[in-house]
Amino acid sequence: MRDEQKLREQRLVFYRDDMEKIGRHLTEFLKLAGAKCAILVDKEGHMVDKRGESGDFDLDTISALVAGSFAATKEMARILGEEQFTVLFHQGQKESIQLTLVGDRTLLTVIFDESTTLGVVRLYADEVSKKLAVLFEKIKVRGASGAPPEEGISQEFGGAAKTRLDELFGK
Amino acid sequence: MVQINFARKEVNCKIVFYGPGMSGKTTNLEKVYENAPDDHKGELTSIATEGDRTLFFDFLPLDLGQVAGMNTKFQLYTVPGQVYYNSTRKLVLQGADGVIFVADSQRKKMDENLESLGNLEENLREYGVDIKDIPLVIQYNKRDMPDVLSVEELEKTLNKWGVPTVEAVAVKGQGVFPTLKALAQMVLDNLNKEYGVAADKGKAPAKPAAASAAGTAAPAPARAGTGTATATPPRGAPSPTAPSPKPAAGPAPKPAPAPARPSGAAPAAPRAPTPAPKPAAPPPKPSPRPAPAPAARAPAATAKPSGLRPAAAPPPPRKPQPQKKSGGMVVVIIIIVLAAAATLAFALLQGGSGGGT
Repeated sequence: MRDEQKLREQRLVFYRDDMEKIGRHLTEFLKLAGAKCAILVDKEGHMVDKRGESGDFDLDTISALVAGSFAATKEMARILGEEQFTVLFHQGQKESIQLTLVGDRTLLTVIFDESTTLGVVRLYADEVSKKLAVLFEKIKVRGASGAPPEEGISQEFGGAAKTRLDELFGK
Repeated sequence: MVQINFARKEVNCKIVFYGPGMSGKTTNLEKVYENAPDDHKGELTSIATEGDRTLFFDFLPLDLGQVAGMNTKFQLYTVPGQVYYNSTRKLVLQGADGVIFVADSQRKKMDENLESLGNLEENLREYGVDIKDIPLVIQYNKRDMPDVLSVEELEKTLNKWGVPTVEAVAVKGQGVFPTLKALAQMVLDNLNKEYGVAADKGKAPAKPAAASAAGTAAPAPARAGTGTATATPPRGAPSPTAPSPKPAAGPAPKPAPAPARPSGAAPAAPRAPTPAPKPAAPPPKPSPRPAPAPAARAPAATAKPSGLRPAAAPPPPRKPQPQKKSGGMVVVIIIIVLAAAATLAFALLQGGSGGGT
């Protein structure tokens, strides 16, 4: 039972209402900051949501690398006696990326070009991160509370998964 | 940890290939990449050293596609096997939903296997995860090499937990998919156990019901019957067309409005005006019908009043009618009284004048 509880606390489950709120925050942020794209990624490297123009790059890969990059700097921070770095910035010739920690397990990844400035992006990223952190805390508390899920996966999921795995990997 | 996104209809799982250096973890991933259908795989990304050893991780997104309405994705990672990369290995392991331990079957590699397995156990423990609780599959790789241990020996030495094992020659692609499949199945089974049941219990309707309010309410009545939530019917009910599929077998148009009321307990009040203008004829018929149906479902909620509403609706039009009738009576009486008075007065006048002459 204790393990199940732990699992629930760790697992991120998003419902429609959560995603609508997250989407609104990200859209507003993009408008204010003049950035191209905002991606929310959890620390495991799974994308939570994306707003703006992401071009044709692979979002799954970006998400995994963002999470990896953040995890690596966490180790650096630890060596320096910091718990973690809350903001990371990668500057390119045309496009740059800023990562901001949201709460304790999600990362706001902002991709922007020379049409805006780092200062503006950082200012609004900081603002929206705080709003999102409140939202994520609620999601976390809800998960930990053991409250029944608002929505479930279809009863057929297990059987359907087996069929799909057979199709993909052979019987 | 598995991320479930009901809004995007997505399930994301993280699978980590673990094992000693040179045991074939990256080769496993490369073979998955080579053999998986194009529309199911993303880019294979490696953060490797000059010597082609994994520095941080290899990463391959694998899309299982739609599974019971959820787009199910696996993120496959490998860790660096070399002992001195433990900090990065631990980072990659964070949040893993399942682990494939790639063991080297060669006799001379047994110590490395054991050390790596112990390291996996320890790193998991540091994340608060007991190795017994996480889906784990052991792959006995390099079965084609000389001087390999028998599977029995490997089982005895490495498989303390009795987890599924697969023999493999990853470099030839043998055993690669069966290993991944075995683990994927375990991960998804776990997920199904936790969240699949929820749909069964009728918790799922909460959301569809909200959707039904927007338009398609058809499924709502069906769920209302099975679901435990009394909140569902009121939401499903607002659409007056909802019930029509239910009594499909029976007289189509008339029963339709009838079940709408029983199921829609609370909303009956706002809807009361609608039935009136809508069909002029049905009102009398629904009223006898709802009576039996709501009786079963209604008692807990406010269904009774709603069931009564249709019956109560007719009286208002009746009220004005009696008023008109009684008004007419009064007028008639007044006319009669006035006529009588006039006749009496006329008679008196005539009598008076006659007496005078």
